[in-house]
Amino acid sequence: MSLVELKDVVKRYGQNQVLNGVSLTVEKGEIIAIIGRSGSGKSTMLRCVNGLEPIQGGSVSFEGTKVNDPNTDLRKLRQHVGIVFQSFNLFPHLSVEKNITLAPKVVKGVAPAEARALAESVLRKVGLAEKIDAYPDQLSGGQQQRVAIARSLAMQPTLMLFDEITSALDPELVGEVLKTLEEMARDGMTMMLVTHEIGFARRVANRVVFMHHGKIWEQGPAAETLGKPATPELETFLSAVLH
Amino acid sequence: MIRDFTLNDVLYLVAAMRWTLALTAIAFIGGGIVGLSVALLRVSAMAPLRWIGTVYVHVVQGTPLLAWLFVFFFGLSIVGVEVSPWIAAAAAYSIYAGAFLGEIWRGCLQAIPKTQWEAGASLGLGIGAQLRCIIIPQAVRLGIPPTVGFLVQLIKNTSLAAVIGFVELTREGQLTTAVTFRPFTVYLTVAALYFALCFPLTQVSRRLERRLHVAR
Ligand SMILES: Nc1ncnc2c1ncn2[C@@H]1O[C@H](COP(=O)(O)OP(=O)(O)OP(=O)(O)O)[C@@H](O)[C@H]1O
Ligand SMILES: [Mg+2]
Repeated sequence: MSLVELKDVVKRYGQNQVLNGVSLTVEKGEIIAIIGRSGSGKSTMLRCVNGLEPIQGGSVSFEGTKVNDPNTDLRKLRQHVGIVFQSFNLFPHLSVEKNITLAPKVVKGVAPAEARALAESVLRKVGLAEKIDAYPDQLSGGQQQRVAIARSLAMQPTLMLFDEITSALDPELVGEVLKTLEEMARDGMTMMLVTHEIGFARRVANRVVFMHHGKIWEQGPAAETLGKPATPELETFLSAVLH
Repeated sequence: MIRDFTLNDVLYLVAAMRWTLALTAIAFIGGGIVGLSVALLRVSAMAPLRWIGTVYVHVVQGTPLLAWLFVFFFGLSIVGVEVSPWIAAAAAYSIYAGAFLGEIWRGCLQAIPKTQWEAGASLGLGIGAQLRCIIIPQAVRLGIPPTVGFLVQLIKNTSLAAVIGFVELTREGQLTTAVTFRPFTVYLTVAALYFALCFPLTQVSRRLERRLHVAR
């Protein structure tokens, strides 16, 4: 059984069909980079994996559990699937510590004393141990994004979803976030990441998935697929991003 | 018989303020409960619940408070249900304040970006926990100034309860005027007493807002 299985997923917003039968499987430990033009459905596909978007056809499953089944307890499922957004979405009224410990405390019942230690440990992983008592608006964009990653890690997820998490950052802050991702990759985390950083995808991802018009147009091992695209669409896309 | 406006009359007016305060408290508590429910209905994901909230707000905002007081006090007694003025006032003011507070709080809830709900949901929090831990704490800060603004209106609107027999501040002023024939002095005193209630509230509101802002 694969960790994630999407089968013929169809997603519409009104008349606008955004996913036209997307099928994809992800194995434990894999790192999948998802690339494609704006509007091709990358974010939508990612959001279907943790049930943030209801789907109109096909099926999505995680560890064998149907995400799109109304009887599935999404709260339980989401404890195992972390997601980090382009716009960080930290809770502005809570300190870094409280941002991180909120879900472990409320959802998993972690005791306050342990929670602080948990926050410290995930913050060390993202290199921000000294910011534990800061508030989000006292941090740079790169730091906020690393806190958002730490917040997800604190739930000890099996799978992490990343949606263009460096796109809102100033160029000089991108590196620190990518470095954090690389460390997570080394620790064996399963990741699906939407990214425009082609060089990063080539270096870190096992597999590249190219989306086009709501479909998976082409996929394969990162270096091969990016080095020798099989479809003219991917070739066009790559030459547009690389130049 | 006409008598002079004395310190005693001032004390009577001050004493009448307790009814103004009691009515305000009842209206605010009742209205707060109704208002929170209305606000939650109006941001609900289920359309029928939203409609119930919307109809409620439109009906109540489109009718005078006085009418609700009459309905609960005189209306119900005509159909044979005797209600005490307190019950009638509590019902009418809760209905009235509930609609306005509901609208104010709905606006505050909706001012919190959808991505905040999503971030909570993605961490495995249920709707209740998202509201309690993420949305409401942020909405409260936005809600303080308009809520206090409405509270000040409410204090002044408690004078309407005089029609069902409450001798609160304004009514006490009328009665004092009737025996002293000193309307100018009496009503100036009444106005000063209202001001003494309302002014500190707006000050507290400002301080609270600033404090919550610093503590985020
Ligand atoms: N909430 C929504 N309501 C209506 N249409 C939407 C919504 N979200 C996305 N869409 C549409 O779905 C399509 C795919 O959007 P999606 O965000 O998945 O693209 P994307 O590949 O992530 O693009 P980008 O690189 O710009 O983030 C777009 O045409 C978009 O307009
Ligand atoms: Mg996107």
